[in-house]
Amino acid sequence: MTPLCLALLFVALHAPAQVTFDRLLKADTEPQNWLTYSGTYRGWRHSKLDQINKSNVKDLKVSWVYQMAMTHRVQTTPIVVDGVMYISEPPSNVVALDAVTGRPYWRYRRSLPSRINVCCGQVNRGVAVLGDRVFVGTVDAHLVALNAKTGAVLWDVAVADSKTGHSVTVAPLIVKDMVIVGIAGGEYGVRGFLDAYDVKTGARRWRFWTVPGPGEKGNETWSGDSWKQGGAPTWVTGSYDAEQNLIIWGTGNPSPDWNGDARKGDNLYSDCAIALDADTGKLKWHFQFIPHDVHDWDATQIPVLVDAEWQGKPRKLIYWAHRGGFYYVLDRTTGQFLHGKPFATQTWADGLDDKGRPIRKPGIDPSEEGVTIYPGVQGATNWYSPSYHPGTGLFYLTVWENKGLYRKGAAEYIPGNRYIGSVPKIDLEDEPGYGAIRALNPKTGDKVWEFKTHTKPWSGVLSTAGGLVFAASGGWITRDRPDMEAFFHALDAESGRELWRMNLGGEMSASAVTYSVKGKQMVAMPAGSALFVFALP
Amino acid sequence: MRTCLLLFVLVFTTRAQSTREVRNPHTSPADVAAGAKIFRGHCAECHGLTGEGGRGPNLTTGVFYHGSSDADLLRNITDGIPGTTMPSVFFSEDQVWQIVAYVRTLSERRNQTTTGDATKGARIYANLRCGGCHLVRGEGGTGGPDLTLIGSQRSLEHLREAILDPNAKVAREFRIAHAVHENNAEHRGFVMNEDTHYLQLLEAGKGLTTLPKRDLRKQTIEYKSVMPSYRGKIAGDDLNHLVAYLASLRRSTEGASK
Repeated sequence: MTPLCLALLFVALHAPAQVTFDRLLKADTEPQNWLTYSGTYRGWRHSKLDQINKSNVKDLKVSWVYQMAMTHRVQTTPIVVDGVMYISEPPSNVVALDAVTGRPYWRYRRSLPSRINVCCGQVNRGVAVLGDRVFVGTVDAHLVALNAKTGAVLWDVAVADSKTGHSVTVAPLIVKDMVIVGIAGGEYGVRGFLDAYDVKTGARRWRFWTVPGPGEKGNETWSGDSWKQGGAPTWVTGSYDAEQNLIIWGTGNPSPDWNGDARKGDNLYSDCAIALDADTGKLKWHFQFIPHDVHDWDATQIPVLVDAEWQGKPRKLIYWAHRGGFYYVLDRTTGQFLHGKPFATQTWADGLDDKGRPIRKPGIDPSEEGVTIYPGVQGATNWYSPSYHPGTGLFYLTVWENKGLYRKGAAEYIPGNRYIGSVPKIDLEDEPGYGAIRALNPKTGDKVWEFKTHTKPWSGVLSTAGGLVFAASGGWITRDRPDMEAFFHALDAESGRELWRMNLGGEMSASAVTYSVKGKQMVAMPAGSALFVFALP
Repeated sequence: MRTCLLLFVLVFTTRAQSTREVRNPHTSPADVAAGAKIFRGHCAECHGLTGEGGRGPNLTTGVFYHGSSDADLLRNITDGIPGTTMPSVFFSEDQVWQIVAYVRTLSERRNQTTTGDATKGARIYANLRCGGCHLVRGEGGTGGPDLTLIGSQRSLEHLREAILDPNAKVAREFRIAHAVHENNAEHRGFVMNEDTHYLQLLEAGKGLTTLPKRDLRKQTIEYKSVMPSYRGKIAGDDLNHLVAYLASLRRSTEGASK
């Protein structure tokens, strides 16, 4: 090889299109790519692409399908960078695909210990990309950096011990030169945290314990030693407010889920929105949706960051539809509660007080024989991504209208085993309820429209400048009953009218993304063990 | 010759080992009670409080899709089942055996014995013309549930109750839908499946049909059984015989109850 040839090769390998932090900050200026879990740091899951739009979406066709070589539930959000798509395959593998043809370039396959404990399947919600690196969390609670061109492992660090019910299922978030990663294990009595790792070395920069230890503020909200197994995991990707340098993240349920006897107190910072200084990991503010939760109503939703007028003045806001059935508007600088209103049927609270604290009805806590209330055990919504559309000004989300039976049981902590304290019932046999995709006025929480679905969706929504909302009406298919539907829909963002649909025939518990290569817009949605990609003919 | 002998011994001992069945050493009532306690805290979230199923499979039918032997259950509970949401556990082997002991009790009702005679029951089934509505191995009508595997699916008490009081428990899959098409055509049948856009029916005398909901003028679902009650119409012994016959209808790999 000549020196010139070598030099050209070097340039070809290193020069183009590295994903810089600056590009991530301005991700909305390159809608052809999908650079972070929610598309941008603001958590909107919205695309400026409009080639596929209201008038032509009826012609949408499958362009390619990528079949994964496994049967685990797929929850990945694809990341697309300049024509290359990076997806995680459950449990903890990564594939780089040509985003036009669906043909793989490389595949990283993780070897795992035989005993892995994840509450609800060995899932992974996606990867993060920075520079020439791809980052993935694993169900054995590691964080791995891969070379984006070859899939080779650059570093592999233990985030926690998987033998104690810890796992990493969240898609990491890049902030500056750090990989922000959360932990799962709220059904195993882990003590939750949010971590930052150096992208180059994998060294940990900081850790924020979502359950404070002795001497730390908030520890007094846990009786006895209950903080040690306090839960408050961080299993869904948060957002980043660059202007204030704040990482805003949702935390999950306190452990054990449905029996709060051993953890008297508010149980901070479970079921919270937390805002951390990105450089230090120090808490700037928090807002707790459910003090002392005994219903498993995690606050692991995507924080939707919007700058808008509030009572006549511009204000940095967060829109948040929480699992317990209330929609909230919070101030992003202080965490102050500004507004709250139910977005779905709920029968457990008489409303929220002026601080946003729920006013609980009596008799709603789980009992030995069971208590039936709305929303059910999976909540009025869950981790399914919502979407904010700056054109319509509407907030879109997946909603469950169902009630659940909350039973209380004994909870004994044994490391690595389930620590839940109950036997809830998600669906009542004769009253399964229904699902819906809803559009809310984000200033008021009022419902603007709804698209009803017969079965309750487990997927998020994507909105586009083409005037569309992509959503799915299917979810987890139990082994005994084939009754869960699997439609992927395109809805009119203004009216909720269904404009296109396809039966994808498998479980859907991810959220769609859209991207464009060489001028052709594509929409990607996982279903079953496959990733389906759609385009106009 | 020595090599040959060695090989013989090796093959023989390996075969002997492989045929030696691992049996649960913990099956006392105390073990079952201990297993029930663990089951409630760790398994019932998905399999239901009484093993009736939910997010995870029904454990009361005696059918285990990943192996039914004691050794299979021990392995699947200990290590979880790859490719499914079934997680592993970190209990001692003795504790897992206790879970196995309890899980076995969930399907024990299948092995209950009846005083009835299945052969006589088959004749009563024919005399009462049950086959007018029910299918058994492809023979009969589609006006009622297919009974080919009913012995695996239902307990003796349930079968007895279903004959005397058909409305006591109407399973989800036997709901009856009544739908009227825009063109006034009427459809009535079991709801095989339903989603946002379609209603899938098994219509008596017609077979499997999918109806687009947008074409329907009216759609109601009844939770009532169309089966008449046989209370007072069937003598005590005959009822036992009929129940024995129904209980004998199960998968060919399962033993029939006596």
